[in-house]
Amino acid sequence: MRFIARYAKDLGKNFEVIDVFDEEVKRVVISKENPSIKTLAKKYPSAIWFERKMSDDFGIVIEDAFDKRVLVHQERFPHAIHPMLKDFKEKEIEFSEYVPYKYEVVSGDGIFQVSVGPIHAGIIEPGHFHFSQAGEGMLHQEVRHFYKYRAIEKMLEGKTLFEAKPIIERISGNESVAYQTLWRDITAMACGVEIPLEMRKRDAFLLELERVIHHLTDLGFIPNDGGFGAALAYASKLCEDARRKMKELTKSRFGFGSINFEQSFWDVESIKIYLEQLQKDIDFFQDWIMDIPSIWDRFDTTGILDVNNCVKYGGVGVVARACGIVNDRRLNQFYLENGFESVSEVSGDVSARFKVRLKEVQNSIVMMRNFLQTKSFSVELDDVKDGEYMSFTESSIGELFMSIDIKDGVIERFFARDPSFINWQTLHLMMRADIIADFPLINKSCDLSYAGNDL
Amino acid sequence: MIRFWNKRLKLGVLTQDLEFDEELEQIKKAIKSEVNKKFAGSLAIRMVDSGSCNACEAECNALANPYYDLERLGIYFVASPRHADVMLLSGVMTFNMTPHAIEAYKQIPEPKWVITMGDCPLMKAPFEKTFAIKAPANNHFEVTHHIEGCPPEPREIIKGLLEFLRKI
Ligand code: SF4
Repeated sequence: MRFIARYAKDLGKNFEVIDVFDEEVKRVVISKENPSIKTLAKKYPSAIWFERKMSDDFGIVIEDAFDKRVLVHQERFPHAIHPMLKDFKEKEIEFSEYVPYKYEVVSGDGIFQVSVGPIHAGIIEPGHFHFSQAGEGMLHQEVRHFYKYRAIEKMLEGKTLFEAKPIIERISGNESVAYQTLWRDITAMACGVEIPLEMRKRDAFLLELERVIHHLTDLGFIPNDGGFGAALAYASKLCEDARRKMKELTKSRFGFGSINFEQSFWDVESIKIYLEQLQKDIDFFQDWIMDIPSIWDRFDTTGILDVNNCVKYGGVGVVARACGIVNDRRLNQFYLENGFESVSEVSGDVSARFKVRLKEVQNSIVMMRNFLQTKSFSVELDDVKDGEYMSFTESSIGELFMSIDIKDGVIERFFARDPSFINWQTLHLMMRADIIADFPLINKSCDLSYAGNDL
Repeated sequence: MIRFWNKRLKLGVLTQDLEFDEELEQIKKAIKSEVNKKFAGSLAIRMVDSGSCNACEAECNALANPYYDLERLGIYFVASPRHADVMLLSGVMTFNMTPHAIEAYKQIPEPKWVITMGDCPLMKAPFEKTFAIKAPANNHFEVTHHIEGCPPEPREIIKGLLEFLRKI
């Protein structure tokens, strides 16, 4: 079974802890008097971040965990506060005394530590990486995040699904359409309506366009981090064109507000012409880049994620597909009928992740052609029914999961697991054979979201 | 590689919508002359994300693409606040990032300015105040200029930079 998420709910007198696997959902209720539970991390290592977050959020004790450090609550956060408890209603908290965080380090003769971040050298999101170094070689690295923690889960409580929408679409800007797609699924389920095929096609088109934009960004930045700037100039032009297309179709360069229950009217012919050009430009890019030995010299064997490690950690998305694991939420009839082909590589290195992106762009173009249609649709939404609703989709990074509980018409509990939340935990496994100068390249090849991870 | 250079030579300078190009060219000229006058030809910006959704960063990255190519005008995004004249701040100033954003600002040598970008730092984006948010940014910094939008598009950022340059 693949582990997907572990999170808790405050039920008043008790907590409910929910474990989501690919094959089943397990639940246990524990009393607030003695809120403790056993760790899953011994079997599923990536459960540890979920559990540390649960301790911060609710004060739930993970009895036999090997790592009980805080996760979300950083040095100056008042540690007695557990903000996801229903009776915590503060809108303002003060900085408390600075308590240093104990990093995971390897120590020994001549071994030293390198701290990077939270503010990095480029235009990137904040996060911290802590390295134990033997000369240039990386012995260990700890990823430490949650600098962008905005408390979105708490922010959404008490809102209707429609009030929550503008916030949900801004959880992670480069995955906005994916988040909106899950909001759509959950809203449709809660209202008890079927999503018409035409609407699903429109939304799937936008999701693929978002994927193309994200992959194009990386197809430029990965070679750039490998010292080949010309690729960035080329790919960033294509990326800009795609963003402008997104704006033309949705009024937003990031597709904010694009997934709704209203009909959109598109100029299908001009989109077809655009896709044709994009196809040509990508084919040219592929011929060109495949032919540059210095890039492949840099990419090959760098940042290898072993397939066994990936399975153990439940890695998802591009990272998993690059080590040969066919894990894709688009593997279903709807996508297969519209030209989806599952893409994978086996080497698990930077090369593999780069090639997966390149092939996925090509496959997305095929699907986008098939998703184009001119039939109209209309959806009548009924009242929202209380209940627990879950949905999955494949964002440009990987499998995205969202669960929303509705009570009395408003959100009682919101939970989202960005693919990054799992994949960040696999990053340190990619470093073992490389030198620290390779780190930016390896990190970029995964291109995970900090905002979606931190919530 | 030969094929690339052939294509490059054939393509020449990239233009798109002519009207927009002309406007952009005007703005760019104005920026260049302001940067020359006020910053001896090079304006160094340190971008600090204090808790954004990452769309604002993506738009700043877009400023380097061949359509905008901001570096041609003498504007650089630098790696360290110690090399910067301006802090460009995005995001809602999270509880966890606020101390670091303040520290980054302290590290910028005088004279220095703060420009906020996107609706987040003013709490005008859809995010609502929670205990984990310390925005608005002007509670923490003296903000010289604000570039609005959610996110502001590259051309709005460029316009905003010109407005800033004219202000000081
Ligand atoms: S202003 Fe809007 S686009 Fe920019 S970071 Fe905030 S939510 Fe994202």
